[in-house]
Amino acid sequence: MNDDFKKKVNEKYEEKLQKGERFWPDSIYKDLLVSFALFILLIGLATFIGIHPEPKVDPTDASYVPRPEWYFLFLFEFLKYFPGEIEWVGAAVIPGILVLALILLPLYDKNPFRHYSKRKFAIGLMTFIVIGMIGLTINAVITTPPQVETEIAGSLTEQIVLGQDLYSIQCVECHGPDGEGGEIAGVEGLEGVIVKSISSTDEMYTRNDGSLFDIIAYGQPNLGMPPFGGAYGGELTPSEIEYMVAFMRYSWDDRAEIPADAVAASAIPTLAEGEVPSYEVHISAVSKRYCMSCHREGKENNEYLMGSYEEILKSGNNVPNLVAGDLNSILLQTIQQNEVIGVDDETIGVMPPKKELKPEFVDMFIRWVEAGMPESASEAAALSVEVAPEVEGEVAPEAGVEETPAP
Amino acid sequence: MFKKIYAWLDERVGFDGLYKNLLDRPEPHGNWWNTLGSASLFLFIMQGATGIFLTVYYTPSPDHAYDSIQYIMNGVAFGWLIRGIHHWGASLMVLIVFIHMLRTFFSASYKYPRELTWIVGSLLFLLTLGMGFTGYLLPFNQRAYWATVVATEIGGVVPGIGDFILKALRGGTDVSALTLSRFFSAHIWMLPAALAGLIGVHLYLIMRHGESAYPDQDD
Amino acid sequence: MAGSSRISRRDFVKVVTIALSSVMGAALGIPVIGYLIDPALKVQSSEAWIPLGPLENFPLGSPKSFSFTRSSVNGWEKTVNSYGGFILRKTETDLLALSSRCTHLSCSVNWDEGNNNYACPCHAAHFGSEGEVLDGPPPAPLDRYETKIEEGNLFIFFQKG
Repeated sequence: MNDDFKKKVNEKYEEKLQKGERFWPDSIYKDLLVSFALFILLIGLATFIGIHPEPKVDPTDASYVPRPEWYFLFLFEFLKYFPGEIEWVGAAVIPGILVLALILLPLYDKNPFRHYSKRKFAIGLMTFIVIGMIGLTINAVITTPPQVETEIAGSLTEQIVLGQDLYSIQCVECHGPDGEGGEIAGVEGLEGVIVKSISSTDEMYTRNDGSLFDIIAYGQPNLGMPPFGGAYGGELTPSEIEYMVAFMRYSWDDRAEIPADAVAASAIPTLAEGEVPSYEVHISAVSKRYCMSCHREGKENNEYLMGSYEEILKSGNNVPNLVAGDLNSILLQTIQQNEVIGVDDETIGVMPPKKELKPEFVDMFIRWVEAGMPESASEAAALSVEVAPEVEGEVAPEAGVEETPAP
Repeated sequence: MFKKIYAWLDERVGFDGLYKNLLDRPEPHGNWWNTLGSASLFLFIMQGATGIFLTVYYTPSPDHAYDSIQYIMNGVAFGWLIRGIHHWGASLMVLIVFIHMLRTFFSASYKYPRELTWIVGSLLFLLTLGMGFTGYLLPFNQRAYWATVVATEIGGVVPGIGDFILKALRGGTDVSALTLSRFFSAHIWMLPAALAGLIGVHLYLIMRHGESAYPDQDD
Repeated sequence: MAGSSRISRRDFVKVVTIALSSVMGAALGIPVIGYLIDPALKVQSSEAWIPLGPLENFPLGSPKSFSFTRSSVNGWEKTVNSYGGFILRKTETDLLALSSRCTHLSCSVNWDEGNNNYACPCHAAHFGSEGEVLDGPPPAPLDRYETKIEEGNLFIFFQKG
């Protein structure tokens, strides 16, 4: 590059400056508009799309599909085309050369021309590389298998509620709905084993969250408790076990106060007078808490599953379990502590086998069957009898109470 | 009163000189593509600001990183907004810096006398990618953990020194508390310091040579 | 372009610059202030009856110390705090439960059997057996807990926030 050439370039630039604009206000105005647009875009993305919640680190989870951030995907995909022995070529040599080529570009690009028409090779090569990167990225996105989504609790309240659901499914069959323990009934291999309470002060004060986590994850095989952690052959992720620990701690440890909204969120809805319960709102909440620990796939339960409306009516060896309007339905009898003879002349014991269902829940089932077992909340609402709200001085018509004069 | 303060400051700072040298500079006619550099700077500043605020609650340890971010997202007022901007700003910054670089390439602005501006700029691009890479681990969730395992493993396949690179990146043989704290340090101190310094050089060079003009037929 | 229109364009850009910058500053600045001071705005209140065991464990006449722990959630962490105090059983059922926290700067006071008073180790303050200030800098007597006896067990009422 000789001095004449440099002089020519500089003179030309001066000329362009003469015919040009000012940084302030011309450029800044455009810069500002673009920056402002990006700002709005960012706020919009943060507000309306947010950040996809991800589960906590779990090195043992073999089903997780690792993927880098999207702008590294092309490189990730690129490595697919390099077999083991020459992987280092794709991982180090080629990217290394490209990065160096990028940085040092002005030093080896000796083409003095700047106009597009005179830089066909350079522009062609760069276009090819960029299209290649885009293509690799698209290919990587297309070929990524779908990630298994797990439920993620954000706040403590959500953790406790999710933890209670998990506890109800996984633990209730042996430990009871309130961790009270007792004699195990109806669990394969553990029939008759006496389990101590896990919700007592003794337990709660002497085991910290870490111990509780380990006991659930690893189990206590010598005492009969199987492992639940994915790393030890169970089916729970570390996050799920943490939610269970949060539920146990905040529900049973009298030193820790459970957040009020967690109590409200996990409470089973109560019924007003004349209100007809629905499967969606009431029955599923009770069956999830008290029945599903045994009445789910893979348990000894006469094939009777209670995971959905369909299952609760039509699964199992003793169909029909429930008949609309029939108060002698099998399920209603067993939860009222009456044994029933099933189809194979086999006795169906009382349910739940260990601890009677609270009377208000039994009542809920009875009212539900009486009303014809509505599935959704809206169906139930349509069947409900409007009872006038008890205003002072007014008494519901069929209450049968002597009218009391208003004070 | 206000005028007095202004006069006092002007005497010492020299607003006039600042105005002449920084703002009132002549430029060749540009177009909207010329705004990408300042947009990159804007995003860098946004990332810096939101990043600083995130460190108020974020804790770089494997036991607390995840929970502290859950707290930022759900427990602190506007935590979701600060982290949301930082999260999306990172992606946007990589994109904008890359397009800015392509613009410079296609308009051949890297040629004499702006070779060094290009070299510094391409280093800035690599540092931006480095920020993305190190920041990705910090939430310490599944995605972060596995991406870092795989990415550091890629460093490990370099013949001869691969094992060394892997250990140097991870601070040991495993992705551990050491990995998290060195990524954190790189993400909030080393890389931003390098970025800020090189941005200064980049801006100085731009002011020294002026913004490049788009090439004509005869260039 | 004529000079006058040039100036008005400048002014226009100036106004737009200031306006957009302020919008961005406010859109980010106001949430940031909320973000930073958020923990100070959270009310953490808790109250409960704390069991202290059978009443007969507390002798008549001289103060006996007790302690209990409560956990509260700070951010993402559970903090377990210990609290202590003294029970003075004046008669069979007349009880006085004092917090051991000095009302000056929250050091723990101790019962000094010989001098019949509570001594604070920090600034040499003394409280009488009823918690009243005898000497030293404390601005108020020791805090009292409400007590109740149920089935022979003693409970105190803990309140915070």
